[in-house]
Formats: sequence, structure tokens, C-alpha cells
Amino acid sequence: MSENINIPESTKHETFTQQEYMVMKDDLLRPIEKIGKAGKIWIAFLVAVLLAGVVAYIIQETKSKYVTTSLRDYTMWGIYISNFLFMVAIGLVGVLMSAILKLTNFEWYRPLSRIAEVIAIGAIMFGGISIVVAMGRPDRLLNLFLHGRIQSPIIWDVIGITTDLTACIILLFIPLIPSLVTCKNHLKNLPKWQLKMYNMLSFGWQGTPEQWSVLKKTMKVLTALVIPLGVIICTITAWLFATTLRAEWDSTNFGAYFVSNAFLLSVAVMTLATFIFRKAYNFEKYLTEMHFDKLGQALVLMALIHGYFNVNEYLIPAYKMSGLHENTLLNLFTGKEAAFYWSVVIFGIIVPILLPLFPKMRKPLPLTIISIVVLIAGWFRLYLIVIPGLLHPYLPIQDVPASWTHYFPSVVEMTVVAATFAGLLLVVTLFSRYFPIISVWEVAEGELEGKEEIFNYK
Amino acid sequence: MKKYNYFLATSLMILFSIATSFAQDKEAKITLTFEKIDSLNVCKALVMSEGQPVIEVPVKLSVKRLFANLPIGDAIATDSTGVATFEFPNDIPSKNGKLTIFASIVEDENYMDTETSGEVNWGTVVVTDNSNVDERSFSAGRDRAPIYFIAISLVILGLIWGTLLFAVLQVFKIKKLGKIQEIKE
Repeated sequence: MSENINIPESTKHETFTQQEYMVMKDDLLRPIEKIGKAGKIWIAFLVAVLLAGVVAYIIQETKSKYVTTSLRDYTMWGIYISNFLFMVAIGLVGVLMSAILKLTNFEWYRPLSRIAEVIAIGAIMFGGISIVVAMGRPDRLLNLFLHGRIQSPIIWDVIGITTDLTACIILLFIPLIPSLVTCKNHLKNLPKWQLKMYNMLSFGWQGTPEQWSVLKKTMKVLTALVIPLGVIICTITAWLFATTLRAEWDSTNFGAYFVSNAFLLSVAVMTLATFIFRKAYNFEKYLTEMHFDKLGQALVLMALIHGYFNVNEYLIPAYKMSGLHENTLLNLFTGKEAAFYWSVVIFGIIVPILLPLFPKMRKPLPLTIISIVVLIAGWFRLYLIVIPGLLHPYLPIQDVPASWTHYFPSVVEMTVVAATFAGLLLVVTLFSRYFPIISVWEVAEGELEGKEEIFNYK
Repeated sequence: MKKYNYFLATSLMILFSIATSFAQDKEAKITLTFEKIDSLNVCKALVMSEGQPVIEVPVKLSVKRLFANLPIGDAIATDSTGVATFEFPNDIPSKNGKLTIFASIVEDENYMDTETSGEVNWGTVVVTDNSNVDERSFSAGRDRAPIYFIAISLVILGLIWGTLLFAVLQVFKIKKLGKIQEIKE
């Protein structure tokens, strides 16, 4: 331990050789070559849940939505929309764990960046699907593009999501090009179509200095672009609510509140993904305890920022307790939803602020457990924004059927939401089965930091 | 005895409904007249049955609106001359000033349901200023979005999608550079 401390940072990686690079390449490409029994069962399980969701959606669309869902006149947005918010929030993981760390030269981003980008793509994709699922008339989806009003936040959201998804896919693909050549040259025991796919997608990569220069320049531009794009998506999603007439959403703080929540959930989802990949693919050498330590620190910071916005969002309106806010705030603080609300505050904000302050809690297992708790609380926090908000309109609810005055998701709704999670996990799992989930050349480049040598990553 | 109670109650109900239906058998006819007394709009409904004025029968007054009739106050009973007199409000909106007014007898003990209507020029013509409908604004339709907003949106979208297009083109540049290298080798 003391020996490590004495080694100056600049000379720490002097010993990184081509041989060590070959070992690293073997380690990082192994998951593509071998799919164990557990891996196959996992994929089959995800496909089954996804198919169950498809069947549930077909049932929803072929039978009356009044019967198959619990959506009514007041709660016209149920868990589909709160789930959409959650997906958009964790979609910011690519921005935080890849783009921001990359541009601010935090070197520990290297093994995490591709994992983060794949999660972001899966989350944004299934976030978009969640909206379509929530639509009363999905057959009119095209009308949003053909007849949408540019003044409407819904159109901004549609444009934002498609743009961000495209940007994330391109940003994932471009640094993947050298990795595809590595796969093509290194992995031999693969089906021919897979090798052909690597060859086709590698776009004639030779690793020349000119190609590296073009690749890095493009990566830099795209990395800088996805940061405002990700923040814009989260903010527009918040505006969908802030521009709708409901007391709970009547807030100028909503955009920032959503972004801070997204950053908090991004750190949590990154921790969980890092833990799973580390265990499942034996990546302990690359996804180290240092990463968990850093993620733990980031979790505290993000929870503090989100806590700050929570004070602005709830306690300041509660101090005034104006007539409009009283109805919804008292319901959350002391009313029907109080137990729910305070659990979300404790597990979603206070726990991630306090526990990771202790170094022992920043070890892989404790931090992952904290992250799971934060993610569950985060999902319910968004649920608490959507549903009680809708159930507390400006005009009191009178003379309506009892089922309109409360909301509990139906089996169909819960199955579809479970399927979106399965879909997200399937995208990440399948990607990691066909492509290196940790960028070999980016990690190697990190090891070679400080040297002028151009490494041949072929 | 108990088992006959049900039979007894049913028979009584049937007898009662027969008696009521016979009682309601009388036909009545309403004639509506409209008068202007001082500045008041007065509407008189004369109820006649078998050539005689009907007294003490409640008459309801309503005015036709877009989907249903709007009741004008409570029902008023006819006086000794068979006339129910209503003071009609003078602020009921109308497109052309004309209002269709209905007088009706509903669920009376002695008379069958009846209704009559008449048209009168008592409506207040509503002049709506729709000159701002064609103005460009956030609340307008898609064709009427503010120009500056369309311009800013297009610039932002153009910059972002332009950058994405640039990135895609760089991929093809990488391919081209690879081919050049192959030729060199």
C-alpha cells in the first residue's frame, strides 16, 4: 500500500506494455466469446417479460382502456408517464458518467463511459415507448409530427427525445469503431455473420494517425453536444408538467428539480450497472473499488443538490401555504400520501446524503444496496409528482364515480412497465454480448496517459 | 296474512297508476305571448283546456341554448284567467338577437305533458372581437406560431442536426482514409 503511494502519478503507468494490453484485450472481450448458462437464462427471462408486456399492450389496445387500465378523467397520466420520467432521468447517465467526466478530464470515466452510453440509449428508447403506450390513440402518433404545434412542450419533447437518441447512438458508435476492428482481429470462434458485422461496421478502420485525429475530434464535438441535449430533454419533460394547470406542478423550479433528480438517479444506476458487470463478467481489475469510492462521493454530491432543490420545491411553498398549494402539500406531508412521501424523502435523499459519507459504505456491495434503494425511491418520487398532482386539480372533484378519485395501476399497466425495464436490461445485456461493454482502447489509452507513443490497438 | 301483503301492495300500485294515468288524461294547450311593459320583457303563457282557462297549473319557462334548454326561474302557476306571467331577463346572449322560448307543463297531476315555443327578438347580440385570431401567438394554431419562435427553433434544430450530420460524414471520412491507407500499403 505504502509502495503505491510513493510512486509518482506521472510514472505510474510506465510499465504498460503491448503484452499487458493483450491481457486486457482478452479480459474485456471474453464476454463476447462465451455466453454461460446463467447468461442464457437471464436473456430468456428478459425476453419473456418483454413479450408479456407486448401481450398486455395488445390486450390494452384491443379491449376498452377503461377496463384494462386504471386511467380515468383525473389520472389520465398513470405509471406509464411516471415511468417515462424515470427512464428520461436515468437516460442522463450518459451525459454525467461519460460526457461530463470526459470533458473535465476525470480519468476514472474510461471503463464506465460505454456502459453509461448503452444504458442511456436503452432508457431513452423505452422512455419514448412509455409515452406511446400511454397514448389514448397511438394510431395518431404520426399526427404529432404532421400537425403538431411548435409552441407546444409536447412537440419539444418529441423532437428532443428523437434528437437525443440519435446523438447518443452516434456517440456510442464512433468510439466503437476501433473496438470493432479489435473484435474482428481478436475473436475467431464466432459465427461468420458476427465477424462480417464487425467488418462492415468498422468502416475500414486502419488505426492511422489521420483516422484517430478525425475520430477524436468528432467524439469531442458530440460529447460537448450531448450535455446540453440531455439537460434540455430533462428540462422539457419537467415543462410538460410546469406548463399544465395543477397546483403541485405550478413551479418555476421544476426544470432544475428534474435535472438534479436525473443526475442523482444516474449515479445510482451507474453504480448498480458497474456492480453487475464487475461480478457477471469478472471485471474486478477494470471496475475497481476506486470507481465505487468515486461513485459514492458523486452520489452524496448529487443527493445534496437534489435535496437543495427539494427544499425549494416543497418547503418554500409550504411556508406560504397558499390556498392553491395547501390542498396538495398537506396531502403529501400529513395526509393520505404522507407515509409514501416521507419514505421517498428518507430513502431517496437523506440516505444517499448520509451513508456514503462513510468510506465503508462506498465499498461495492453497500454502495450498490444504497443505489438500489435510491432508484426505487426515485421511481416512486416521480410517481408522487404525477399521480397526486393529477388528483388535486384546482376545482374540487365532485359528483364523479368513485374510481375517478383514486388511482392504483392495473395488472396490464404494471406488466407493460415491467416490460420496459426488461427491454432496457435486454438492450444493455445484448449489447454487452456482441460488443465490448468496456472500451478497450479508451482504457488502454488511460494506462498510457502522459506518453506520446501512438499505440496500435488492432 | 304476510304472504298476501306482497299481492296487496302490487295491486294497490297498479290501481294507483291506472287512476293517475286517467287523471292525467286531460289535454291542455299553451299559448305564448310576448309583451314589452316599460323596459321589462314580459312573457305570458295562457293555458286552456276544453275551451276553459286552466288555473293553478305550474308552467315552466325555458330558452333554447346550444345543447339544451336553459330554465328561466322557477315554475309559475297560472292565475284565475289561466295565465302564468314571467319576467324575462334581457341579457340572454344570441347570435342574431332572436330567442326561442319554451313554455311547458311537466308531470302535472291533472294534465298531460305539453310544450309550446315561440320566437322573439329579445336576445342580446354578442359582438365578439375575433380580430386577434389571426395574430401570431403561443396560443395560436400551428400555422400562427410567432415568427421569431419558429426562427429560433429552426436555428437550434439546424445547429444540432447539422452537428449530427457532420459526425455521420466523419464516419465516411474515416472509411475514405482507410482506403487511402490500403492503397499505400
